[in-house]
Amino acid sequence: MTSHQFELSESPQDAISAVKFASSSPKLLVASWDKHVYLYDASEGDSARILQKYEHRAPVLDLCFGKDDQEAFTVGVDWDVRRVDLTTGEQTVLSSHDAGANAVVYDPAHDMVISGGWDSTLHIHLRSQPDHVPNTIQLPSKAFSISLTATKVVVAMATRAVHIYELDALATAAAQSSQPSPNLLEVEPWQTRESSLKFMTRAVSCMSNDAGYASSSIEGRVAVEWFDPSSESQARKYAFKCHRQTVDSVDVVYPVNALSFHPKHGTFASGGGDGVVALWDGVAKRRIRQYQKYPASIAALDFSKDGRYLAVAVSSGFEDGQEDIEGSVVKVFIRELSDSEAKGKVLK
Amino acid sequence: MGGKKRKNFPTVEDELGKPWCYYCERDFTDMLNLIRHQKAKHFKCERCGRRLNTAGGLSVHMNQVHKEQLHFVENALENRKGLEVEIFGMEGIPDDIKQAHQQRVLQNFYQAEADRRQNTGNPPPGQGGPQKEPRRKPTVEELKKRLAEHRVKRANAPVSAPPASNSPGVPGQFQYGQPQSQQPYGQPQFGGAPSVQYPGAPFNGQGPPASLPAPPPGVRVVSNPPDGSGPGTSIDDLIADAARKATVAKALADDPERKPKKDTKAIKLIYSDNETSPEEKRAMLPRYAFSRA
Repeated sequence: MTSHQFELSESPQDAISAVKFASSSPKLLVASWDKHVYLYDASEGDSARILQKYEHRAPVLDLCFGKDDQEAFTVGVDWDVRRVDLTTGEQTVLSSHDAGANAVVYDPAHDMVISGGWDSTLHIHLRSQPDHVPNTIQLPSKAFSISLTATKVVVAMATRAVHIYELDALATAAAQSSQPSPNLLEVEPWQTRESSLKFMTRAVSCMSNDAGYASSSIEGRVAVEWFDPSSESQARKYAFKCHRQTVDSVDVVYPVNALSFHPKHGTFASGGGDGVVALWDGVAKRRIRQYQKYPASIAALDFSKDGRYLAVAVSSGFEDGQEDIEGSVVKVFIRELSDSEAKGKVLK
Repeated sequence: MGGKKRKNFPTVEDELGKPWCYYCERDFTDMLNLIRHQKAKHFKCERCGRRLNTAGGLSVHMNQVHKEQLHFVENALENRKGLEVEIFGMEGIPDDIKQAHQQRVLQNFYQAEADRRQNTGNPPPGQGGPQKEPRRKPTVEELKKRLAEHRVKRANAPVSAPPASNSPGVPGQFQYGQPQSQQPYGQPQFGGAPSVQYPGAPFNGQGPPASLPAPPPGVRVVSNPPDGSGPGTSIDDLIADAARKATVAKALADDPERKPKKDTKAIKLIYSDNETSPEEKRAMLPRYAFSRA
């Protein structure tokens, strides 16, 4: 049974790296390897249309909305962290990493932008202080994926490292440090963890209730864990296999590229290299549903802030033995969810 | 002892007579439950919760009420999702699938029966009955010898096995803890029939094995009634067997992976570079090359 789903017209020309919904309107930003950021209006169902395109000088690897639906922050292969004014299209470079920048998040509580790159650093930008020199925090390894809750930021890195920072502490420390660039900042993470998964982390996504996060790896597995350091909470953490297929008695294991938590129900979606999107109830440890296969690998997922829509970015992945994939499938689907579709089972 | 021994176990006719669900291969105690199950699991409208009688009915409902198209049956096995077959209860199931199911039920039944026999040491019915010799009174020497052997076994056996002494109703026969639990036959085991394959079996991470598992290690499958030697099977053999099984069960329980079978399965990672992310690799392609001038 399929719920209502439509495909965005005028999809990007090359693989998609990120999709993000705006916080107060059904606008959707899409970042692509074709060096563009696309803004869609996803409100009108089938007549969803493209509003604008913003050209970048290199492939865009991640993006997020800023303090309102009029601004966005982007990072990309050109190392830059940019602010894009979505109305005028004006772009400002906030800082530059020393290698490709591939993750960016915006914390509305502190009006703060946090970006991460393959140069193993985080950059902190305090938007409320226009003359603030962006801070640089040294990480143990390359940042791969960053996710926020209301109070914390989880940074998943290469070599299976995970750092959790408290946003308050980060904002305070950043505000006090005013050296010239790179304005190095020494902030102890609130928690330092090793990934619960044995393989490279692909994605991390925080629970909407600020209790914990889920992470996924290239080896078809998702781990769910909780922030609370008490042993009871830590004992609750678990991992499960998914996005696998048995072909001729060989277990074909796909990377889990995308994770996104539903803002209301506390359930989450995972998207894999197998082109499958599944909804999970992380508390009851149940799969709620699995949608029919998409035509190619799932590159990114995002629930709209009201939980009514799920954006699914489909583009051929970058898998072993499939090094170059020109003319491949690139599509964005918006799935309209019924009220109970993403709801977990009520525990009796 | 003799009178009630078959009471707890369903006969093969019971098993074959059970209604079962075409979409998920689950079996039910009666038709009413099956129909209830189908309405709740397979023919329920996800939009309004209305339960329809058939997939076709649901399709029409989705179309007319919600203006949507039903593409496949919810919660169905991968190759049973189609809307082409009109199923209601047991009606409409294609013959080949019916036969495959029957085959599977039979296989499971005999497997379960064989396992039971293995566990209890009881002879198959009809074989043991009339020609069964009265239980031979063991001589004192024999008893002593057996006791000594049994002590050795017990010393070697894992602690988890409960002492054998407290099974009064069964003289001369040791019940050595339950060997590892067998699959109850209510559970369908898929993939036994050649035509049936479940490529993207749901929950392939945690779900049921995709193929009929080989008998667990340590269990000797008795497929045919032994030729009259049944009752004569040495009790020492049985004890040794039970002890071995207990050990196996213990080993399985200790295995942190909790995966008794098919952990030898080959695995193929679609993306196997554990150091460099796909994005980094992609960024190195010439067409994305960017030089910071």
